[in-house]
Amino acid sequence: VSRDGLPAELRRRIEADLEPVRPLPPVWRRTLLVAVVAVAVFAVMLALIPLRADMATIPLWLSWGGSALQLLVGLLLIGLALREGVPGAGSAAGVIAGVATLAVLTQALVGFATWRMAPGTEPIDRPVHVGMRCLEHDALLAIPALLITLALLWRALPVRPQTAGLLGGGGAALTADAVTHLLCPVSDLQHVLVWHCGAVVFLMLLGWIGGTIWCLRGRR
Amino acid sequence: MVGYQGGSMEDFTALYQALEKPLLRYLWTFVRNATVAEDLLQEAFLQIHRARHTYMPPRPVKPWVYAITRHVALMYLRSQRRRRESLAEQDLPEVPVPPAMERIADRATVMRLLRELPRAGQEVLVLHHLLGLSFDEVGQIVGVTAGTAKVRAHRALKRLRQAIEEEGGRA
Repeated sequence: VSRDGLPAELRRRIEADLEPVRPLPPVWRRTLLVAVVAVAVFAVMLALIPLRADMATIPLWLSWGGSALQLLVGLLLIGLALREGVPGAGSAAGVIAGVATLAVLTQALVGFATWRMAPGTEPIDRPVHVGMRCLEHDALLAIPALLITLALLWRALPVRPQTAGLLGGGGAALTADAVTHLLCPVSDLQHVLVWHCGAVVFLMLLGWIGGTIWCLRGRR
Repeated sequence: MVGYQGGSMEDFTALYQALEKPLLRYLWTFVRNATVAEDLLQEAFLQIHRARHTYMPPRPVKPWVYAITRHVALMYLRSQRRRRESLAEQDLPEVPVPPAMERIADRATVMRLLRELPRAGQEVLVLHHLLGLSFDEVGQIVGVTAGTAKVRAHRALKRLRQAIEEEGGRA
């Protein structure tokens, strides 16, 4: 221990790596980065794939409004996930539980309202096959936003990595389903509740697993 | 902290000197072993150093530092649980007892009864009553709202008082 009270080994290790660092940008700026990616995916997909056939029967507030709501709630979740990367700045457990519930509820409500307004174009003969395609679609579209969120998180120090991953996964899923909502021709409530809400839960789980892996890596 | 982020060793030393004792006390509430608490203190400062870019001025420094320290302590406890090791309990000599508590019981009694409280309540009690952090700060460190932290501290203090009274009754 030196005269200033600093243990010699600690002093040596700090002095060996004392380069100036730039503080992380504020959460809103990092969220904006993910938002740009999510909106770009949204725009590209809508330019490439034709909108659902019954689009004209769905009121504007529900078609585009529903998508915008999903996008906003998704970005809210991503913002909260990124906050988890700053020690001491994470949200309270109750807020996290509330927001995770809000994510699933938003998904269910948008699906329910769409089913009421435009109850589907045609009956689905292979519900599992169609459902799997929607889940796959949501998962693939969510990957860019999820990867960027996790990369931004791992650059910081999430003290609750599983929670951060869960929020990031849910947020990415909602931004992805904002696209699927305008493309998927199936309004059947069972399809929406099982496969589209399932996509949110699945990606939350994926984010949680990502957090666990990061946590285990950190312990080694 | 800003100077330390800019690469100043003097500022790191000042941060260490200012926080060494309170962090040691905080770590002791997790491990209750002075030697391990001192080892974890070094680990916490190394983690603080590795994560120094995550401190965003002008946010308060304390919740940030304590949250990292808590993370280090919890990681240690998890690894210890996996290895199924247990430590001999040791008092931390520097742990003070606030005058309000000293009026109702001596230091040794307070520390012993504090140890018997559930960890969540004990942690909040130590952070607020022993280390002087506000409930807002405690909430940020522990990951709950300030209101929840207040309720936890209130319940823990009530249990501590009850335990002290019972001890007095037995005596």
